[in-house]
Amino acid sequence: MGKSVRLTVLSLVVVAAVGYLILTGVRQTGMQYMTVTELARLDRAPKAEGFRLDGTVAPGSVVYDQRRPRLQFKMTDGKENIAVVYDGLKPDAFADGREVVVEGAYRHSDRALHASKLVTKCPSKYEAQGLGKDRS
Amino acid sequence: MSELGRLALLLGFACSLFAVGSIAWGLRTGLSGPLRSGRRAVWAVCGLALLAMILLERALLTRDMSYRYVAEHTSKDLPLHYAFTSLWAGQEGSLLLWLLILSAYGSAFLFAYRKRLDPFYDAVAMVVASVMVFFTGLLSFVCSPFRILATPPPDGMGLNPLLQDPGMMIHPPILYTGYVGFIIPFGFAIAVLLTNRSGTRWIEEVRRWTLFCWGFLGVGILLGARWAYIELGWGGYWGWDPVENASLMPWLVGTAFVHSVMIEQRRGMLKTWNIALIVLTFELSIFGTFLTRSGVLTSVHSFAESNIGPWFLGFILLSSTIATALILYRKALLESENRMDAVVSREGSFLFNNVLFVALTFATFLGTTFPVLSEAVTGTKISVSAPFFNRVNVPIALTLLLLTGAGPVLSWKRATASVLKRNFVLPAFMGILATLVALPFGATGIYTLVCIFAAAFVTTTIIMEFARGIQARKSVETGALPSQVVNLVQKNKRRYGGYIVHAGMVILFVGVLGSSVFQKEAHGPLRNGEALAIGPYTLTLRGVTEQQKQNASLTTAILDVKREGKFVGTEHASKALYSKSQQPMTEVALRTTPAEDLYMILGGVNEDGTTSIQAYINPLVSFVWVGGLVMVFGTIIALSDKMRLRREEKFAP
Repeated sequence: MGKSVRLTVLSLVVVAAVGYLILTGVRQTGMQYMTVTELARLDRAPKAEGFRLDGTVAPGSVVYDQRRPRLQFKMTDGKENIAVVYDGLKPDAFADGREVVVEGAYRHSDRALHASKLVTKCPSKYEAQGLGKDRS
Repeated sequence: MSELGRLALLLGFACSLFAVGSIAWGLRTGLSGPLRSGRRAVWAVCGLALLAMILLERALLTRDMSYRYVAEHTSKDLPLHYAFTSLWAGQEGSLLLWLLILSAYGSAFLFAYRKRLDPFYDAVAMVVASVMVFFTGLLSFVCSPFRILATPPPDGMGLNPLLQDPGMMIHPPILYTGYVGFIIPFGFAIAVLLTNRSGTRWIEEVRRWTLFCWGFLGVGILLGARWAYIELGWGGYWGWDPVENASLMPWLVGTAFVHSVMIEQRRGMLKTWNIALIVLTFELSIFGTFLTRSGVLTSVHSFAESNIGPWFLGFILLSSTIATALILYRKALLESENRMDAVVSREGSFLFNNVLFVALTFATFLGTTFPVLSEAVTGTKISVSAPFFNRVNVPIALTLLLLTGAGPVLSWKRATASVLKRNFVLPAFMGILATLVALPFGATGIYTLVCIFAAAFVTTTIIMEFARGIQARKSVETGALPSQVVNLVQKNKRRYGGYIVHAGMVILFVGVLGSSVFQKEAHGPLRNGEALAIGPYTLTLRGVTEQQKQNASLTTAILDVKREGKFVGTEHASKALYSKSQQPMTEVALRTTPAEDLYMILGGVNEDGTTSIQAYINPLVSFVWVGGLVMVFGTIIALSDKMRLRREEKFAP
């Protein structure tokens, strides 16, 4: 049964190759998901480099240098703050109090996250709450 | 009026339930009466869904702010055409559109098979009706689009500026036509299992339905990419965002299916696999809707978080469990008629293609849901993004591209050494030649070189196939070359349509390669008269204007564009500030040539009077869109082929 052996070997090779790609991919590009509080309360430099943080833009903390362009702000989850530095244009939906997700490298020395990606969630759901109750 | 809307959906729910029950009863007893009433109930749901849509549209167009949905998604200053399309701006309306398309598919299906009084088709209709139960139920009891506000506001919240784009008017309906359409193949698969029907007629029918919605899904994905490119203003069109992945996954599995179905038609093999692929495609379509709408994952495209997530998850679990149980229960029905003869054969390459497509889907799925999965398994949430997908998916996709050239020219059953030599020496030579030519132009990196090799390799095999076909018809064909090509394609639309799709894919790959590897970026603050250099271009700022539009104020930078010192045009990069939401919205200035796009973004006017401009050169982006169009063209040709049935199938009931 040389043929079925060959088929099995071929499938195994594909599965192994894809498995290898996924494993090394996760190891090298995976980012740890943390809350602002978790990251802010670390007392020593974390092992992992890449982080992904969810939080809101602390009102009044935004400093935007449009000329570079560089965006700096504090991200908060209501308890703690983390400074975020993002080199790039300010996204359209970015504003005080908006929910944002940032990805990047955390440097413990200056306690700042150097973001390579910044996603602003759409604000519509907050506004919608202002409409009040349904007629019963 | 809102009561009427609610009533329509409630009646739709009742009719769907009735259709399922009545058809089930008819199938069980063999009575034709219940089957007929069940079919009629499916039609009725379509009418009721249409009525509900008209009622909601009426409210949207008249801006009846007592409707919660209208107040949430429109405003009085919204242009009329966007008020019309804001039907699918929010969740409730999107689900209504889902239902409408679903019931339209159900009716179209019944219409197409109205003359075939075979309970098999009733079983398909029953599956469609059970999905209708889910959607009418959701719209009636969980998230009704006809909620009325206790105190209507004087004006609405306005439509999300990102959705105020011509592309967004048609992208969702087309994407949904693709997504939802997989209900029909799914219905066929379940009906085969339910009725224990052997035979292959259904597989030819299902191939055509699948190709239809597969084509629409592809167009939907491309329109989404085009929208992201023009509206999101980050210079790219694909970011491996969860919602993008969600639409890609059913397309990938659907692609695997349209290939492997050929093996089943030709050789009676892979029956279980094919049914599994159909089921998976459908479940992934539902999963896609779930991802877009549930807010489980953060995405630039997720416009609302909501309470419908658990319902969708429950529906996916239930339907896939039933499908799996049926597959196991009917194992005997799905026995293969033949065995694989050799690994190096058409079958072998298709099998390899399928394994790779499923692997690609698996990797995409894993990456997309990784935060949720890793938290469940290890307790820490790990997230992966674009670098992961590029790392994992690019090599798989490139292997698939190579197979695109190899698969179709391998012979069925077993490819001999002489076949391999005849079919592969020239393409491989052309591939190497193209790679060598590309080297001095700065092509480095293994993936870039493999992609260039593969593109030339596949193109050559496709041209050779056409040339061979024309050569074979030399005796009957005397016209000019173009007419010979047209006649050749008409002789075997399915085959050559397929080659055209492959050619489109090659073009698309070249576009992706060019725009991802060779992208250039430049930015800077400019004073009036100052210039920004990028590649062969210089952009000179002529001035900035302010202007008031219907529902936004517009700041525009006027740029004179020179290419290699020669003036080529004036471009306008803008930022709109929408009066309702006070949200700025970048409007990109785009200068498209076949070879490259010049993409210009206005950052804003600075306090010191300078203006921030960011520019990209995206080489070969137009190839992405053109490749997509060629694929659509090929799909239409393949679809226009007649039904191909074996003799015994023609007379099958």
